[in-house]
Amino acid sequence: MMLRARFCLLATPFLTLMVMATRLDAQEPRLAGRLPGPVLQRIDSLLDAARRNGLPTEPLVDRALEGLAKGAAPDRIEPAVLRLSDELRLARTAFGDAATAAELMAGASAIRAGATTESLLRLRESRPDQPLTVPAGVLADLVAAGVDIQDGVTAVLAIVAAEDADYVAFRRNVERDIALGASPAAALGVRLRGMTEVLVPGDASVGVGSGGTRRKRKP
Amino acid sequence: MVENGDDLARIAESLREPVRIDPALDARVMAEIEALPRQPSRLDSRGHWLFRRRTFRLSPMGVLAMAAGLAALVLVAGRVGANRAEPPGAATGPPVEDQAAAGGPGQTTQFVFVAPDARSVSIVGDFNDWSFSATPLEQQPGDGLWWVTLSLPPGRYRYAFVVDGTRWRKDPNSPAAEDEFGRPNSVVTIGGP
Amino acid sequence: MKDESDAVLVRRVLAGERQAFARLVERYRDPLGRYAVRMLGNAADAEDVLQDTFVRAYRSLTRCRPDDFGRWLFAILVNRCRTHAAQRGRRNGILRANQHVVDAAFVSASDERDALREAIALALERLPAEQREAFLLKHVEELSYQEMHELTGTGIAALRMRVFRAREELRRLLAETIRG
Repeated sequence: MMLRARFCLLATPFLTLMVMATRLDAQEPRLAGRLPGPVLQRIDSLLDAARRNGLPTEPLVDRALEGLAKGAAPDRIEPAVLRLSDELRLARTAFGDAATAAELMAGASAIRAGATTESLLRLRESRPDQPLTVPAGVLADLVAAGVDIQDGVTAVLAIVAAEDADYVAFRRNVERDIALGASPAAALGVRLRGMTEVLVPGDASVGVGSGGTRRKRKP
Repeated sequence: MVENGDDLARIAESLREPVRIDPALDARVMAEIEALPRQPSRLDSRGHWLFRRRTFRLSPMGVLAMAAGLAALVLVAGRVGANRAEPPGAATGPPVEDQAAAGGPGQTTQFVFVAPDARSVSIVGDFNDWSFSATPLEQQPGDGLWWVTLSLPPGRYRYAFVVDGTRWRKDPNSPAAEDEFGRPNSVVTIGGP
Repeated sequence: MKDESDAVLVRRVLAGERQAFARLVERYRDPLGRYAVRMLGNAADAEDVLQDTFVRAYRSLTRCRPDDFGRWLFAILVNRCRTHAAQRGRRNGILRANQHVVDAAFVSASDERDALREAIALALERLPAEQREAFLLKHVEELSYQEMHELTGTGIAALRMRVFRAREELRRLLAETIRG
């Protein structure tokens, strides 16, 4: 008798808390209790919708967790998650149903940086059997370093035959040149010439982008 | 004067002649394919990869049982875990969704931060639920160099260093990532199948 | 044995039947081989790239729409030929313009035709890779410029230019052989 009473006493607070949690349908345990109820519900609906559409939910949860870690208000966290889910959906339109979560995350970053779905589609078609995670990621990184998005797209497509490691090396070189004072367009152009000369040595007809026309920087 | 069209036609016609490749190629291809590891099928009927995150809803009784079990675990773990140094980043990250599809093991990535005056440095990011405590960096004695090595499956991970628990810092060795919450971010991209 | 369509075979492979892929390899070995041999200049390299292409196709088959298998496979091949040329270039420093093996894949009919074939093959090798690729896609694989654009990601204007230059150069190089 005594034992059962004590057991019930111990269990009650847990039970109450947990039952409350399940009633709120908090599917994402890592967010439960850290956001106001209505916000949490809307984010959970968003996660549900993403799941139903075959989109990865982990990046969405991560975005919310990032906001929480940085002490952001719920009314900044919610639109951030919504925006990312839109970007993932667009990335999937471009990369196709078979795209991996890694590719979609990178594609979403590229879209955030200003890439059109059209340009990502061209990337997919130019590199049909290799993951696009690194090329799309490099595109976003180049824009973060100051490269114009159109120039970045041209560059990424121009070296589409390169391996992932070469993409990373290319990006590092451009970033370093910019950090040392070169203009982003010039750094991109020079490093691109270096890459395409490696890919087809001795070929005088290979130049920047397609047909050798240099894109003008936007004022 | 010159039948340019005919020249071109003869060149093209010659090149269009069929080529016979040694049929032994087939066996070599299939041998290489047979040697590939068999992965559990993660395809639905349309041949699409599945993105499924397991969520579970608990009945109140299930919750009670789980709470009791968890309480017991915490008690035990509290006594046992104190002296065991867990490898950084090992069990702290959330399950990455298509890790099975990606072929499992991640790529070893080292993060280094220079902060001679810091008392503590940790890394927070997409790979550890942005937890301040999950992944502290180790300090090279006397050098102001802090570092940690993580195993990351393919993906794009935003992160930052947090110095002395309060100061957010970008990684000077990595590209910047757009931040929408008022603190600097870096990003690392891991490629792979 | 009944001739199953690409789509049916692809779906069988996706369902776990690895051996069904062998039928696809058999079906596409020669057509793909023709492009690879012309592009790379010899059968040994072509076979290496073909093997690489088929294995990659198998490994990423989930990305393929079953009805588009042939075109999708060919896109992989074009891509691998480019990479192969790049790696080969890196190893040797220069494209091997004159190393060329007249291989058993050619059905020999007469000395004259053999001479022409060899001359054409040598001339092709001397084109820059991009021009050779564009020329082969246009005049051997007989793709439209739109299809070439979708395949390579290169703009149509640039593709036209490459084909034009390739034609001019080939004509120039082969003028004596053809008329002589």
